[in-house]
Amino acid sequence: MFSVVNATGGYGKTVIIQGVSLQVGKAEIVALLGRNGVGKSTLMRFATGLVPAMSGHVEIDGRLAPIAPAGRARLGLGYVPQGRFVFPRMTVAENIAVAAEANGHDGRAAVAAALREFPILGPKASDLAGGLSGGQQQILALARALATQPRILLLDEPTEGVQPSLVDEMAGTLLRINRERGIAVLVAEQDLDFCLSIAERAYVMEKGTIRLETTRDQLRADKRLQQDLLGV
Amino acid sequence: MTLSERTYTSAGWLFPAVATAAALAAATVVDPYLAYVATSWLIFGLLGLSLDIVWGRGGFLSLGQTAFYGLGGYVGGVVAINVAALGSLPLLWSLPAGALCGAIAAFALGAVIFLARMGPLQSTILSYTSTLLLWSVSQSFALTAGAATIGGDNGMSNIPGYAIWSRDPAETLGPAGVFAVVTIICAAVYFITRWLMTGTFGKVVDCIRIDIQKAELLGYDVRKYQIASFAYAGAVAGLAGAMFGAWSNYLNPSIFSVQEALLVPIYVLVGGLGTLAGAFVGAVAIGGLSFWLGGGAVGGQTTLVLGVVLVVLVLFLRNGILGTIGGIWAQRLPGRDAAAKEAGAVSIDTDVLERLLEDAARQFGPAKPLVTRDTFKRFGGVVSVNKVSRTFAPGQPFSLIGPNGAGKSSYLKTCIGIYPPDAGCISIGGADVSRAPIFARVRNGLGVKNQKPQVFGELSVFDNLWVAAFARTRRREAADRIADQILTMLGLQHQSGAAAATLSHGQQQWLDIGMVLCLAPRVVLLDEPAAGMTNAETRELSSLVRTLARHMTAVVVEHDMEFIRTLNGHVTVLHQGAVFAEGDIDALRQNDQVLDIYLGRRRHV
Amino acid sequence: MEPDYLATVLLSSVSSASILLIATIGLAVVFGLMGVINLAHGEFLMIGAYAALTATQRGLPFALAIPVAVVITMLIGACVEVLIIRRLYGRLFDTMLATWGLSMIFYQLAVLIFGTVTPGIGMPQFGITIGRYSLAGYPLLMIAVAALMLAFVYGLLTRTVYGMKARAAIQQPEIAQAIGIESARVNTMTFAIGCGLAGFAGAVLLPIVPATPAMGFAFVVKAFLAVVVAGPVALTGSALTAIGLGGGASLTASFLTSVAGDAVFFVATAALLWLFPLGISASWRRRM
Repeated sequence: MFSVVNATGGYGKTVIIQGVSLQVGKAEIVALLGRNGVGKSTLMRFATGLVPAMSGHVEIDGRLAPIAPAGRARLGLGYVPQGRFVFPRMTVAENIAVAAEANGHDGRAAVAAALREFPILGPKASDLAGGLSGGQQQILALARALATQPRILLLDEPTEGVQPSLVDEMAGTLLRINRERGIAVLVAEQDLDFCLSIAERAYVMEKGTIRLETTRDQLRADKRLQQDLLGV
Repeated sequence: MTLSERTYTSAGWLFPAVATAAALAAATVVDPYLAYVATSWLIFGLLGLSLDIVWGRGGFLSLGQTAFYGLGGYVGGVVAINVAALGSLPLLWSLPAGALCGAIAAFALGAVIFLARMGPLQSTILSYTSTLLLWSVSQSFALTAGAATIGGDNGMSNIPGYAIWSRDPAETLGPAGVFAVVTIICAAVYFITRWLMTGTFGKVVDCIRIDIQKAELLGYDVRKYQIASFAYAGAVAGLAGAMFGAWSNYLNPSIFSVQEALLVPIYVLVGGLGTLAGAFVGAVAIGGLSFWLGGGAVGGQTTLVLGVVLVVLVLFLRNGILGTIGGIWAQRLPGRDAAAKEAGAVSIDTDVLERLLEDAARQFGPAKPLVTRDTFKRFGGVVSVNKVSRTFAPGQPFSLIGPNGAGKSSYLKTCIGIYPPDAGCISIGGADVSRAPIFARVRNGLGVKNQKPQVFGELSVFDNLWVAAFARTRRREAADRIADQILTMLGLQHQSGAAAATLSHGQQQWLDIGMVLCLAPRVVLLDEPAAGMTNAETRELSSLVRTLARHMTAVVVEHDMEFIRTLNGHVTVLHQGAVFAEGDIDALRQNDQVLDIYLGRRRHV
Repeated sequence: MEPDYLATVLLSSVSSASILLIATIGLAVVFGLMGVINLAHGEFLMIGAYAALTATQRGLPFALAIPVAVVITMLIGACVEVLIIRRLYGRLFDTMLATWGLSMIFYQLAVLIFGTVTPGIGMPQFGITIGRYSLAGYPLLMIAVAALMLAFVYGLLTRTVYGMKARAAIQQPEIAQAIGIESARVNTMTFAIGCGLAGFAGAVLLPIVPATPAMGFAFVVKAFLAVVVAGPVALTGSALTAIGLGGGASLTASFLTSVAGDAVFFVATAALLWLFPLGISASWRRRM
């Protein structure tokens, strides 16, 4: 239902990803693995339209996705950026509501749903998002993306700087929304175990290209590959 | 070098010299009225030059240049009238007085703006306000200073004109003579400015514009350079004002008006921002155009035309006349940057390096330890550095590792002074630097290589190293020698003249490291130095770091565990802003807890 | 000093500070939500004043002339955003220079169309007396107008969907787009609203400040300073700085001279910028 075809892109004249193709099926969870700086984030931003395509394109439901990021969001592409980019001087509730309203959904209902889904945000609903801890901001970024009612969710390093107990919870939440709402997920991660716990399939990136495509079981069995990939 | 190339590199003095000669020759033949009007264009060009110094080279859009210009005019006028009354040559006193007054005013404003490290917007608006404040004050400001009378809205009249032979104020030069004198003064100021801005001072000013943080990381007190260049530009503006007063014999508050102020950036933009000579080209072009249109066509609607010109310039023609010509010319030349593509491999000559480092140790004393005690830093709700207490000493390399977001970079930035710590203290060689600005820490012996290569892209490779070496030695010859040695060591001799921006990412990393070496630091902090390097380069880097660690305190932040292993030093693992574990790398690789946080391995689901 | 006099001076100072605030709010909105300094803000004020003046000359009651002024300035503002501001997004100084040029254009056009001297409209005649002193009522009414205007804009930005989108678009431009906010359209709207607020200010202040082509300059300097000193929390910050600096300058002016008042304003500004180089609200935790 979602595919990136032959993506080449970067910043200015610098090419960071080259000829990358991948697909995510309906309600599938796919991981994008690789060391720091191999181009995972750039690929994610390419998919949202924030990095302009030097060549290649993105398809949603077999149709060419519009150029503008806002247009892609309307077609059901949700994005959780790396580094918890919440809107810092807006309240937690506003962060969620604005995402819902921007896509024509009811903001109030979206906030209520998000607070049910992520009870940790409840007591913070009217606090400024910039004052939350790193982990809370990450949860908020996820809640905000879900408020757009996406059909495919792009997560860029969702566990970065998040304490382990929250990571487990996040994994559980992602699995649940994937099952209950049939949302497909593409997650770029360095945290191997997090990926192994939710994704069935993984792409491994190296130096701006996809080096291989593998399944969860293959990856789990291959310790050598694990160390090789993540540079540990 | 071809003729075209030679002409291109010397264009900055050759063409202005030709233009000066041509103007002096023309002065004898042109219509006196044209000579009279053209004199004012040159004076406006001088005013434009003062903005180009501040904006084009310094990077600060000052809307206050007409304030210094007007002040210079008024003060110059007052001095001239009084000096003339005493029977002395007015010009001899009024021009320096105008320049001095402009310099003092600019120094005062610049000190407020730059010492407070105001944001760019705040600086620009403050400069604009000073112009407008002077405009409103001058309208009601009446004063009698000796023989001179400043009459508010009525202005100040009877300012003595250009007389250089005779002390009799009635015997002033004719239009052609005035034009010649003004041409000579403008040319002199231009060449002095060019000399200043192509020399050491100008290089540092350029560096500050390109990357103010890196300039400070080299140990330059950037604020002093900013204030000095602003004060110099104020002097140029004040001089122009005094010349204008002598030219028109009359001044009124409209000299401070918004319309006047608007013209200055227009001159600079039309001529070409940052070209220095462009200000004159722009002023003559605009002045000539309205003269040629006979004053009638645009005369009544000058403001309207200028407004449109400014909008169009900003939207469509950012490079101006000289910028565009220079760009086209440069494209037709064999590129000096082509050399960047055929760079040799980096090879660190350990002997040369050791000698350099021993020299440095003799000169600057032994390596200094870097100590942090309970250093704490938070951003909003995120604690990035959580009471980290560490002592880094010379002898072996220290590495900081940890998963993404563990606070490594924040910790490093707190040590550098980019982030002031919320609590705790940091000391270099026993001196407490917790609150010290970056450049003070650098002068205390700190050398920093940030994650991204920080090079001055517009400067040549050699100049990048030279500026770093000069920051430490303050002597040109010494800087030449050190920059040469480091250049050779980096294997970049053939790229010496290429713009640093044309180097590959990896080469820029090396150049940045080279700049840090030029500083001969006593403590060196390297943030992900191996990022973007090939395997061979990484090996060189590893040997470099090990050599450095014998002579100074060396701290490396890295992701690449393999690289850390080759360093064979002490490793500290950070996690969630705090020290999680430490020891040597092999022990840590056996430590399940460390592997857990690194790999994110937990028992779940 | 007798209390009646003091009360009169205080009241008129608050009133003139409120007038400054009215003139500042539009600028603060554009700066706070777009990061753009509109140097033509004063000229939008002037356009609003002339629009209201022309409307009343055509027989419209003053109260209806105000909305006319707002609509006209909003339309012009939207055009300016699409034609100029949008192309310069993220280039702060270029935007300033371009809007500066624009302010010259508007100024000269006003001179061409209306001449430099225009008839004022009479001030509504009502007033209050404190002891022996009497004060005109309309300028005092401006205190209420400023308060209402501030409340309206605050509500617009914090309680409406548009306000949320506009704030999201400035705080994280890329992410705002990625979650479906059409930043370009929101920005056009924001700039138009900022200009409309200037138009409102010009119109509502018409009885106090007669329309002249150069009227923009009179306000705009202090308005810029108020906004720049305020910093990132533009609305609350500007309200504070406009009232504080404007009131202080006005108090000084009533005891000394108007030039002394200006000097106090300028020096206080410089001092505040010295203490808070990025504006007084740089570290506040507030929404607007």
